[in-house]
Amino acid sequence: MRSKREWRRRGETKFLVIPSAARNLLLCFANDERPTTNDDFMTDFSIIGKSIAMVDAAGKTTGSGKYTDDLSVPGMLIGKILHSPYPHARIKRIDTSRAEKLDGVVTVVVGSDAPNPYGILPVGHDEYALALDKVRYVGDNVACVAAVDEFTAERALELIDVEYELLPAYFDPEDSMKAETNLIHDNKPNNIEKDYHHVFGDPEKGFAEADRIAEARFIANEVTHAAMEPHSTLAAFEIDPQTGNPGRLIVQSSTQVPYYLQHKLSLVLEMQMSQIRVIKPLVGGGFGGKSEVIPLEIIAAIAARKAKAPVKITYTREEVFWAHRGRPRTIVDLKTGVKNDGSITAVKARVVQDGGAYCSYGVVTILYSGALLGALYDIPNIQYDGYRVLTNKPVCGAMRGHGTVNVRFAFETQLDELAAAIGMDPAEIRQHNLLKPPCVTVNGLRVQSYGLPECIEKVVERSGWRQRKGKMPRGRGLGVACSHYVSGAANSIIRSDMPHSTVNIKIDRDGGVVVYTGASDIGQGSDTMVAQITAETLGCTIARVRVIAADTDLTPIDIGSYSSRVTFMNGNATLRAAQDVKKQIATAAARKMNCEPGDLIFRSDVVSKKNGLQGPRGDGRPRPSGQAEPGSASPSVSGHVEGQILRGSLQQKRKDEGPKEQLSFEEAVVAAIDFHGALSGTGSYAPPLDARGGKHKGAGVGPSPAYSYSAQVAEVSVDEETGEVTVHKVWASHDCGRALNPVSVEGQIIGSVWMGMGQALTEEMVWKDGMLMNPGLLEYRSPSSVESPEVEAIIVESIDPEGPFGAKECSEGSLAATIPAISNAIYDAVGVRLHECPFTPERVLAALRAKNNAKRINLTEGVDPTSPARFREHGGSLWYRGKGPERHPLDPSRTETPAAVAGDD
Amino acid sequence: MSLPDFKLLRPRSLDEALDNLAKHAKSSARLRIVAGGTDLIPSMRQKLFEPEYVLDLRHISELSGIRERKGSGVEIGALTSLTAIEHSDVLRRRYSVLTEAAATVASPVLRNMGTIGGNICLDTRCLWYNQSLTWRKGCGFCIKKDGDLCHVAPGGTKCWAAFSGDTPAALLCLNAEVEIVSPRGKRRIALHEFYTGLGDDHRKLQPDELLTRVFLRETAADYRGVYRKLRVRGSIDYPLAGVAVVIKRSNGHVADARVAITAVNPAPLVVKGATEALNGKAVDDAVADAVGVLAAKTAKPLTTSALTPEYRREMIRVFTKRAVLAAAGN
Repeated sequence: MRSKREWRRRGETKFLVIPSAARNLLLCFANDERPTTNDDFMTDFSIIGKSIAMVDAAGKTTGSGKYTDDLSVPGMLIGKILHSPYPHARIKRIDTSRAEKLDGVVTVVVGSDAPNPYGILPVGHDEYALALDKVRYVGDNVACVAAVDEFTAERALELIDVEYELLPAYFDPEDSMKAETNLIHDNKPNNIEKDYHHVFGDPEKGFAEADRIAEARFIANEVTHAAMEPHSTLAAFEIDPQTGNPGRLIVQSSTQVPYYLQHKLSLVLEMQMSQIRVIKPLVGGGFGGKSEVIPLEIIAAIAARKAKAPVKITYTREEVFWAHRGRPRTIVDLKTGVKNDGSITAVKARVVQDGGAYCSYGVVTILYSGALLGALYDIPNIQYDGYRVLTNKPVCGAMRGHGTVNVRFAFETQLDELAAAIGMDPAEIRQHNLLKPPCVTVNGLRVQSYGLPECIEKVVERSGWRQRKGKMPRGRGLGVACSHYVSGAANSIIRSDMPHSTVNIKIDRDGGVVVYTGASDIGQGSDTMVAQITAETLGCTIARVRVIAADTDLTPIDIGSYSSRVTFMNGNATLRAAQDVKKQIATAAARKMNCEPGDLIFRSDVVSKKNGLQGPRGDGRPRPSGQAEPGSASPSVSGHVEGQILRGSLQQKRKDEGPKEQLSFEEAVVAAIDFHGALSGTGSYAPPLDARGGKHKGAGVGPSPAYSYSAQVAEVSVDEETGEVTVHKVWASHDCGRALNPVSVEGQIIGSVWMGMGQALTEEMVWKDGMLMNPGLLEYRSPSSVESPEVEAIIVESIDPEGPFGAKECSEGSLAATIPAISNAIYDAVGVRLHECPFTPERVLAALRAKNNAKRINLTEGVDPTSPARFREHGGSLWYRGKGPERHPLDPSRTETPAAVAGDD
Repeated sequence: MSLPDFKLLRPRSLDEALDNLAKHAKSSARLRIVAGGTDLIPSMRQKLFEPEYVLDLRHISELSGIRERKGSGVEIGALTSLTAIEHSDVLRRRYSVLTEAAATVASPVLRNMGTIGGNICLDTRCLWYNQSLTWRKGCGFCIKKDGDLCHVAPGGTKCWAAFSGDTPAALLCLNAEVEIVSPRGKRRIALHEFYTGLGDDHRKLQPDELLTRVFLRETAADYRGVYRKLRVRGSIDYPLAGVAVVIKRSNGHVADARVAITAVNPAPLVVKGATEALNGKAVDDAVADAVGVLAAKTAKPLTTSALTPEYRREMIRVFTKRAVLAAAGN
């Protein structure tokens, strides 16, 4: 491993590391031929750092915007999917003939219609669009009917005859790991998808040096994204004009990853990628649930191919829960050692994730859980044993805060316990263990910008921590916790040295700036981010900028909206594309203005000369946007006629006049087109080599060009008779590098806190023998507006040396801090430590009763939330003495529990 | 999920509705009645009901509205929206436990649609029952619909789906009566006689009968009333436990009182012995707690919802105690 010093030196050759004060003095247009990331640092932006409305806000708020399910094309059929009623079974026979004969049914597709396996990870191609020989969870995909309407398609599903051979099923990951026969996937012994065993530093020595060691099991129950828009896909084949046969495939889908969808469609349908066009319409939230290829996206395409007609499938909410890809329920066996001065000496974590029936992002999730033990605090010794386990349940995948959230809950809670044990303030112990960047962590993560110290200071100050902590009325308390997240994975899913993002910009003689970006706006505002960076760089108004995004025919590749990578990576690509065009405009404009390109300032639709050079009013200062220079002749010079620039008249004018002191943006554009013949630019981004991590097995996951940092203080009250927890306020600070659009950043912080609060208090997928008991938004309880606390979002700007304008991620990192901030506040309020989330009232009450030695009542189905040994199953019985669903004799549902015998009274 | 095929009947008057019932309502499987639709429509999508006819009452204006009858109480049309109940001055002034309970139902949007009649007739609920057809196939169905096993009490033969309306607990405290009309005539019964206590057949209502009016007597007016509802979220959720308490005081002592609970049994129930435990007493913690214990004994929550049965039973105790203290003005 290279020394820290060497990493730092290598870094400096690639980019400028500038102290922030000095950086602020830099003027906007560095005289540098090479487009670098940070040549535009200045304090006075016109569009960056301003809270502007999202560029797609009008369509969303008026209802005119189109989401996938709003789309309709002539001849379109509706697809409905038949799901497995069994958790684990071999398919012996499928007979679709009765369904096919139903009036209005056009086709029925089954697994053999598209037998190629796929999966988001190259190591995890274990899914089929429709089950080929086996179903692996209740809700697995068996067949699809395409019919003239939903009603007919649903009726046809009842007419499909499937003969199953039942197999024993595995629902609990620790039981599943013991399996030797009837494996969920034949090539995965013990039903273990993947396990990793990492040792960094010398953990044994670290624990030996510790004065206090805490060791406990934590359980985080399963949660899902619950995006407002259910998944929807419309697939249609174009008719090949030469042959009359179905030609290119056009797929419009609610996806975060159009490029991966194009890739997987190509694999499964055996078509060239160039013959597939994927378009992402408006998306109503993803949170990771649309960050891989979801079965309906491929099923719609194979149904359209067989039906020879467009097919649209929109999931019901229940199907969204089955498609899932949410956060796995997780066991964290955690051991942490500290010295009496608060220094963390070692951490040892054993993590078991219940991944469900297929790989999905599982290998990445289990790696993130270990890797991001590092890069928040300075931890010299880490041991990590991670197990991603297969069970006969819906598939877990990536969800906001991917892999980090449950481990962070455990770690931040345990750190709080250790602080209490050594008599140290919980905020102070965190401040005591800060990294000293720039540095490389013990597990190979390069950390440059690090706003965590300021994040902690801010929430401590704003919450009145020092004055109020420990002095609140009974039942009320404060808790603090921190978290962090990547600004994009430094290594792409399909490893290559190709760029992760490319952006093209075209400017034509109308003066309109069209940006072609593959970035997928899923509601997080990436279209707006792209428009802002373009407009700021080119010095034009945002109204000039049109963003064409996420259409594989039109836009260059961006690998998708996941791992919080878009602002950093697509933003950098956009910046470089804009700088490319700007350079071309500057070359031409400088000729007209008799100066060097480097002497020009582009701002507010005007190209002028830098301060000190002869310019308008001699000061070269740009005018505020939208204000024309008094007496300026620019409109007449650029020759507006019905929105067009009459090139001829402009050329005539130019001949009549001498060198100009300033040009309007349109004049400058026309000059550039005159000079270059065409005006377009391109930019791309790949993370630097030195940010791509260490050499150990699994080192590829965790490294990022930059990390975001969060600190939160939660104020809660606990009703000691009911166990109900009320969150009154959360102070949430987030280091996002630079807030390109502060209102958008605040929205992301508030959303993260809110979603974290859901996992902390109310959201939980409830299981009984592989049946999801609450597959709907009535019984899966995301918080409503009533219990949403005030969130004071505090933006911390550490100005990352590589981020576009210094920006880093802001959408995911805050979530993980909320859960432990609340658990720590509960401890402060009533003195109980919950090791199982969510902290539902029954769990809190059980902990309180145990603490007060109250009479024991079984509030939590036998699982002690302060010391949980296993996952809890929902009560009652799925199967009882021959009654209930068919299940294999060895199925866990057929073990009778004493509680199951309740009778009529 | 699509709605099953059905014929929609839209009578404009009660007489027309009774004609429709006489003609089409031979069994409850053939005809379902819809008012606000907030309960029936999702259940129809889940194929819990696949009726041949749906009788839509919404255009029968005579069944809507709150009328004060001087000296003889208040009459509420079954189609009166829960929002109208929530905002009614007379109810708030004289029967406050009802407005309080109505204000906790679901969310504002659902209260705009949902009716008092619908809330009284609400189908019983269970996690093993309120699921899609596909889901229910996976669980092998249940005793309430298409199956032979009660998953929450598998040793028995009864259905334990929980009655989950909020307002009936308040109405029981108010000794409310309901008017039931059919082509065969009209009857008026006490609300507590309306429920059977069976999860799968919870109302004493024949297929051709309509619940048309709710009556609140003058003698039930002017009690101090409190409704407390256990739910995970402050909005949207059905009650996981609910308790209504009314108390009339005289000289610092309870002159009369009633307590009723909901969402923890297949029917909303008056807590027996609560009146006796409170009458004549000056309410203190011990008295309130004793009533709470009585209520908890009346409750039989099972695993019909997400929170555990023992927790819900304990909350009936705590919420009853608190409601009694609040209603007694302590």
